[in-house]
Amino acid sequence: MLRLDGVHFSYNTEGQGIQDVSFELKSGEFAAIIGENGAGKSTICRLCNGLLKPSSGTVTVAGFDTSNAKTSRIARDVGFLFQNPDRQLCQSTVREEIMFGMGFAGVSEAEERCSEMLELFGLDGKKEPFGLSRGERQLVALASVLAREPGLMILDEPTTGLDYMECTRIMDHITRLNENGTTVLMVSHDMEVVLDYAHRGLVLSGGRLIGDGSVHDIMRDAALLSKASLLPAQIPALAVAIGGRFIDIDRADDMASIVEAEANALAGDSRGEF
Amino acid sequence: MININGLTFRYVGANADALTDINLRIPDGDFVGIIGPSGAGKTTLTRAINGLVPHHYKGDYYGEVLVDGKDTLKHTPDQLAVSVGSVFQDIESQLVSEIVEDEVLFGLENFSVSSGEIESQMEWALNAAGIPGLRNREIRSLSGGQKQKVAIASIIALRPKIIVLDEPTGELDPLASRRIFETLRELNTQFGVTVVVVEQKIMLLCEFARRLAVLSSVGLAIEGSVTDVLRHIDVLEATGVNIPRVATLAGLLRKKSLFFGEPPINVLGAKAMIENCLRGENTCLD
Amino acid sequence: MGGLLDYLPGESIIHRLNPLVKLILSFGLCVSCFLSDSIIFVLSVIVINILLSMMARVFARTLLVFLSLIKFSTLLFIIQILCVRQGEILLNLPLGLYITDKGLMFSLLFISRLIAAAMPLSLTLSVTRVVDIANVLVSKLRLPYKYAFALTAAIRFIPLFSSEMAGIMEAQTARGVDFETKNFLKKIRLLLPLCAPLLISSVRKVEGSAISAELRGFNLRGGSSGYKQYPFKAVDYSALCLCAALVVVSVML
Repeated sequence: MLRLDGVHFSYNTEGQGIQDVSFELKSGEFAAIIGENGAGKSTICRLCNGLLKPSSGTVTVAGFDTSNAKTSRIARDVGFLFQNPDRQLCQSTVREEIMFGMGFAGVSEAEERCSEMLELFGLDGKKEPFGLSRGERQLVALASVLAREPGLMILDEPTTGLDYMECTRIMDHITRLNENGTTVLMVSHDMEVVLDYAHRGLVLSGGRLIGDGSVHDIMRDAALLSKASLLPAQIPALAVAIGGRFIDIDRADDMASIVEAEANALAGDSRGEF
Repeated sequence: MININGLTFRYVGANADALTDINLRIPDGDFVGIIGPSGAGKTTLTRAINGLVPHHYKGDYYGEVLVDGKDTLKHTPDQLAVSVGSVFQDIESQLVSEIVEDEVLFGLENFSVSSGEIESQMEWALNAAGIPGLRNREIRSLSGGQKQKVAIASIIALRPKIIVLDEPTGELDPLASRRIFETLRELNTQFGVTVVVVEQKIMLLCEFARRLAVLSSVGLAIEGSVTDVLRHIDVLEATGVNIPRVATLAGLLRKKSLFFGEPPINVLGAKAMIENCLRGENTCLD
Repeated sequence: MGGLLDYLPGESIIHRLNPLVKLILSFGLCVSCFLSDSIIFVLSVIVINILLSMMARVFARTLLVFLSLIKFSTLLFIIQILCVRQGEILLNLPLGLYITDKGLMFSLLFISRLIAAAMPLSLTLSVTRVVDIANVLVSKLRLPYKYAFALTAAIRFIPLFSSEMAGIMEAQTARGVDFETKNFLKKIRLLLPLCAPLLISSVRKVEGSAISAELRGFNLRGGSSGYKQYPFKAVDYSALCLCAALVVVSVML
């Protein structure tokens, strides 16, 4: 679905470029790019849908070599959600906004599809996008991108600026999408969101890919994370700190169950030693 | 000292109250984190403290807010500014200068601080914000975290007793956010500045703040020391705010009658908690 | 970014001149080439501009400004030269157009004046921080602080707006809008709806800026609360004398 081969990119003026990045996303994967600000995360996202073209190396996405394809053409098959929904929204009603998203994709049964999206996202099509809350505007932006059913969805910090409920709502939609076969590439600062939703982690530092593996493993690689100036999510960090039977635990309820089992076993032993 | 008594506010043209009957007392030297879902009135609360509500943003206003003994209804935001400084989420738009030095000078000049004192205030502010080396830098060449520290320096240069921040780390990555909170802790402990910070990053709040106030759309849901609030997982869940996973774990262990102590605020505390559980040292502290 | 009017940091003697002197100097240069009718004089003002820019080590920038002014002036020159009907005909053109000696001289003088008068402005902005200009206008010329602040704020917002616009166009491209189209009308039609998000974010930014300024005592400021002092030094007085001399010469020529 997406393949980067020895990709280099440098900006003319300021901003972190990227050096020699290669990875491949198979259809249906859910990957998260993690790294500190300025590590090159957004640059990679923009290379993946052709907004930026590589200085050398190749980016292949949805069958296009981005260097030879028009960005507006790639955009029909690759959805992109920005951190700031206000840059994406430009129509006067939510319905028009979603129709606008499809207008360039040549979807014939657009009206019907639009109504489906409104219902799915629980949105009122007659409202003005700019009168909505930040979280709702992000939902409208997401709905307008998803309306044309892209095979690959790129999300650049989709939950920044949202509260917890809004974040959960957006991420649940994305999870459902992923379960239905859409490939997802997400940038996020929030390690708990990465742990809860993504399966694969791509660790970026100083424009280089320094780690690529399952999120489960990456959260346990303290050396790798600190090299990227990141901190692991809490439960995996705790699991590593305690070790033993806890080491593979990613979730609080699993951990509580093991503590309970251990405590009961110890009480049964009645020696009370750890 | 901030005293909020029965504050209810509704913006002009709005069809619901932004704040409903808020009672909150923040003593001098406190470090309070305010959290809540969007629409709960967190930003409005900061505006009520710095006087933007009701002087800049008009509406129906009931109750009273006393900041450093001054009634915010009777004092304009710039009169209150010597008592309470404000930092905002949008880093770019709150800075007015090209050079760091000019940014800090802006407030000092406006308040006619004498030129003899300006130099020492400026040095103090840059040091306290942790950016003594940035004085002559161009602001646009700085990182987001550094810019936010410039904003903080330019606010504390006026030596306010209280500093109110509305999602100051909204645009920053985890490490830069942490650095901002370290700066706030420094201001609080070293210089006795009262810190009131609205923030979505609950884990940072729990580690750095002393008290939490949880706002919901119907009023103040809960308020107290961080550990007190983390004990009430059910209230937090009902309000729809995020909960640190270690606190969720503590709640689960409590349900299983394995742990009754203070909920941990970070991984280290959680490790000690589990070790206690396994040692059977779960003596009831309630 | 590569704006032709951005400040270029430096420590040259030109950089260190009093901002007010730099303003007067550039004003003097402008005025003198309109006072003089001698093309030799106007051309030497251009040379002075170039010399000054070399002293300030911003020659590369000045060259760029000079070249873009030449491009623009060429167009004006052609229009101008065809419009002047007096004088002896030097060259007959089709469509009843012709070029006269007076027209040639007049147009040459006109565009050299234009170039000579525009260059000091660019040079002054290249070697002076806007905030220094604003401060000196407030402290020396008693300009109300609000106007000076508006000036600096406007200039500070230009790059913010342009990066916002770039961000919006990027976001729209990612939605499938084809800005690469060669059809001008179509492009305009695509750009028009983007005014709404740009306007909204701009208003929000300006509002945020205004509030932040208000909360830092903007409304309390008096004319004399400037911290930075801009005293005149010997070099400033000599620059002013040179400037005065230039204006006197321009009147005589």
